[in-house]
Amino acid sequence: MVRLFRNRPYLLYLTRKAFWYLVAFVAAVALNFFLPRLIPGNPVSVIVGQMSAGAVESATLERLYATFMRDFGLDRPLPVQFWTYLTGVLQGDLGTSFMLYPAKVWDVIRQALPWTVALQVPAILVGWILGNVLGALAAYKGGAFDRVAFTGSLMLSSIPYFCLAIIFMYLFAVHWPLFPASGGYSSGYFPEWSWGFFLDALHHYALPFLTLVLVAIGGQAIGMREMAIYELNTDYVNYARKLGVRDRRVVRYVFRNAMLPQITGLAISFGTLIGGALVTEAVFSYPGLGSLLFTAIRQVDYPMIQGITLIITLTVLLANFLVDIAYGFIDPRIRAGQAGGR
Amino acid sequence: MPNVVEVEGLEAYYRTPAGDDLKAVDGVSLAVREGEVLGIAGESGCGKTTLAQVLGLTVRKPLYIRSGKVLLEGRNALALDRETMRREVRGKTISAVPQGAMNSLNPTLRVRNLVIDVLRDHHPRIRRREAVERARERLDLLGLPPRVLDAYPHQLSGGMKQRVIMVVSTLLDPVLLIVDEPTSALDVTSQKVAIKLLVDLLARRIIRSIVFITHELPLLRHVADRIAIMYAGRVVEVGAMEDVVFRPRHPYAAGLVGSVLVPEPGMKERTVTGIPGRPPDMRRPPVGCRFAPRCPRRFDRCDRDPPPFVVDGRKAWCWLHRDAPHGGRP
Amino acid sequence: MEIIRILLRSKRFVLGFGILAAVLAFALLGPRFLTDVAPFQRVGGLYDAPSRDTPLGTDNFGRDVFTQLMFGTRTSLHIGLVAGFVATLIGVTIGTLAGYVSGMVEEALMGFTNVLITIPPIVVLILLSVAVDARTATTMGVIIGVTAWPWTARAVRAQTSSLRTREHVDIARISGVGSLEMMLVEILPYMFSYIFMAFILQLTGAILAEATLSMLGLGPFQTVSLGTMLHWSLMWESVRIGAWWAFVPATVFLSITTFSLILMNAGMDEIFNPTLRHTR
Repeated sequence: MVRLFRNRPYLLYLTRKAFWYLVAFVAAVALNFFLPRLIPGNPVSVIVGQMSAGAVESATLERLYATFMRDFGLDRPLPVQFWTYLTGVLQGDLGTSFMLYPAKVWDVIRQALPWTVALQVPAILVGWILGNVLGALAAYKGGAFDRVAFTGSLMLSSIPYFCLAIIFMYLFAVHWPLFPASGGYSSGYFPEWSWGFFLDALHHYALPFLTLVLVAIGGQAIGMREMAIYELNTDYVNYARKLGVRDRRVVRYVFRNAMLPQITGLAISFGTLIGGALVTEAVFSYPGLGSLLFTAIRQVDYPMIQGITLIITLTVLLANFLVDIAYGFIDPRIRAGQAGGR
Repeated sequence: MPNVVEVEGLEAYYRTPAGDDLKAVDGVSLAVREGEVLGIAGESGCGKTTLAQVLGLTVRKPLYIRSGKVLLEGRNALALDRETMRREVRGKTISAVPQGAMNSLNPTLRVRNLVIDVLRDHHPRIRRREAVERARERLDLLGLPPRVLDAYPHQLSGGMKQRVIMVVSTLLDPVLLIVDEPTSALDVTSQKVAIKLLVDLLARRIIRSIVFITHELPLLRHVADRIAIMYAGRVVEVGAMEDVVFRPRHPYAAGLVGSVLVPEPGMKERTVTGIPGRPPDMRRPPVGCRFAPRCPRRFDRCDRDPPPFVVDGRKAWCWLHRDAPHGGRP
Repeated sequence: MEIIRILLRSKRFVLGFGILAAVLAFALLGPRFLTDVAPFQRVGGLYDAPSRDTPLGTDNFGRDVFTQLMFGTRTSLHIGLVAGFVATLIGVTIGTLAGYVSGMVEEALMGFTNVLITIPPIVVLILLSVAVDARTATTMGVIIGVTAWPWTARAVRAQTSSLRTREHVDIARISGVGSLEMMLVEILPYMFSYIFMAFILQLTGAILAEATLSMLGLGPFQTVSLGTMLHWSLMWESVRIGAWWAFVPATVFLSITTFSLILMNAGMDEIFNPTLRHTR
């Protein structure tokens, strides 16, 4: 093992990261499995009981009861239940939906996931880039520009996503109907690869996207400004200036180094922002996971809620891992490792 | 011999975030001559690092010069424009080995690229290969392994980092090198090697003069030609190394020479235990001699009037030497 | 009281604190002096526009929005404070422990913390909220608190590790002071400003988490919070109807509350974190 990693610091870094993500994955699956079992009593009875408050035929209820008893495997010991759950998850079996019975949870999620990914990933990336540029400029220019940019960023980042979403929807979809108020596409269209559908989808995309980008800019700008100010006051900057290195070049050193923690920040924002982002989808009734989650909670569709939380976790873990891989490439210290001219 | 840098009646202040002014250097006149090693010693907070910044022409906020002259090779250095200063002075006429060498190298830049940046920003036409070649030769000449060029700072030991900085700082053959506490973070062996490297740079005439800042006066015995002792923002004694170390005039200098340095764990600097008491609060310095509250040979007058400036081949700001021949006010 | 004098020097802190104080006064004193109806009392029909009796109109159930806003702000702050307290308590305990004892225990604690940080908090929040059926404001605060502590733990550990090597801790150790006493007497007091800032951040996060959960329909039962107000206004299509009074007040209150907290935090950062002082 040790020999494998000698002179391959990047491989070592990657292996270590992969290990921790594996641990996080198992922990996430375990949480998904155990937390629902905190419900006192037999969860299936509780769930079906809650459902029976609605107008559901008793024959349907019995069928539901049987399906869920099988899915949960409640008659068997806990470790066996966990094993059943784990193998099911690994085969893409997330159980049967309740509100959309007899649809499989995974099939429903599979329809919604692309919408969420197509909305969130570009929004976070664009917000991240613009936020970093703004933060870097604020740190470098200082003075009035900094004060305005910083206070503005604080304001933007303190508005919860969904509050901004509601305000935008009211202003730009209801008061001035420039954009559609809900959905991912108009009712006359069907998801397909055509110009008409694409333009219509883009029209629906604009408001949720803008909301997510704006809030992300605020948070990222604050982080970048802080890092850049810190770097501008480091010893190596003073030293480079004493050596007569050009200002332009010193600034390049600073921003390169301030960017590195911001890349890790990108990974973090995937995890912390996803909650607000999901609610934003729900506000706009965007056909992604957020709206699905909103409905599932209202309908107490337990398997669906569980499936969505699991998929969200996996997506976030995957995104984090990808960012970490990229980070290893970008930070020269990781590739260079510790070996060298001591 | 001509003076490389010279300050006259220098008053320098720090502006605190709250908007108050803190006096750091108070009426200092001092010249660095070509070809000499000038040691500046004093306790931490005495203004020696501030003075080094002024002598190195690297004054920046929150530090500012309120009054006094700063001359670079006889010309007014404060009138130089930013770009000329960067291109012609920094690294080329005056260079520095900063305090805290551990963090003075950019963590994501190979030494090679720093060398290239420094050389090309002063000689725009030099090729990258030539720049590296010149650095390699210099490292070789000074007995350092050329492979450090390929290293990132975290791959170098503390002592090696310090030596690499000394080489990079002197790549452009500056007239004057300002070194601020170059050895305080190093172990004894690395300290010796670093001092030896400085002496070597002088001997090979790569640099002509050194200003050596330290709180350890004994260290200067091996390198300095002249020594200035600072206390509470003022120079209290200046003279040839032998005079200041073996026949100090000012009671503070005497205390500094005679004091025992006791290492205390975790302290950044060691305390001078030979002199009881602490330096005065610079916001309300004593009206008379600033050292009077701690001085073992104080008398009434010391509390009332600032001491005169005595010339008898040497300078010491102390009432004890009022009656010495050629005495007079500054 | 030196600390208050220093804090007052930051305009950001003063502004943030002023806004927060106004919100607090509104939430705590408002129900006594500004309204004479109960939060769940019907005073009108579906989305009645603002009038003299109902300055902010009525919601989908015909309840007075102005009254709801006072009680809702109070609940949101209540949940935020409970969550902030729980998260800070757990985070500081684990962080101090991990920073003070090195070796296996530190590795284990930080490994655990880092794994929890990787899992999006919203996921655990949703699963816990669904599992805990009767959610009062306090249980919600606890739920939010137990999912939010890892950030505090990580930050506190870093601080503790750097404090551990300082001189006064060395001296105490040499004098034979025990580990627990050392943590309580020699380390924690030096982090008060830092812990307070972490608490403010937790409070901000918790208020947002409450709103997020409530918006999704997992809010506290039988009480009104800023989040549940938004949930109902969304369920009953107030935005599309154009009944701005049903969603603007809660939106504005959520935003200014978090903004005031973030401002206070930024102000304290300026004061306690000297590297951020702009000296160029």
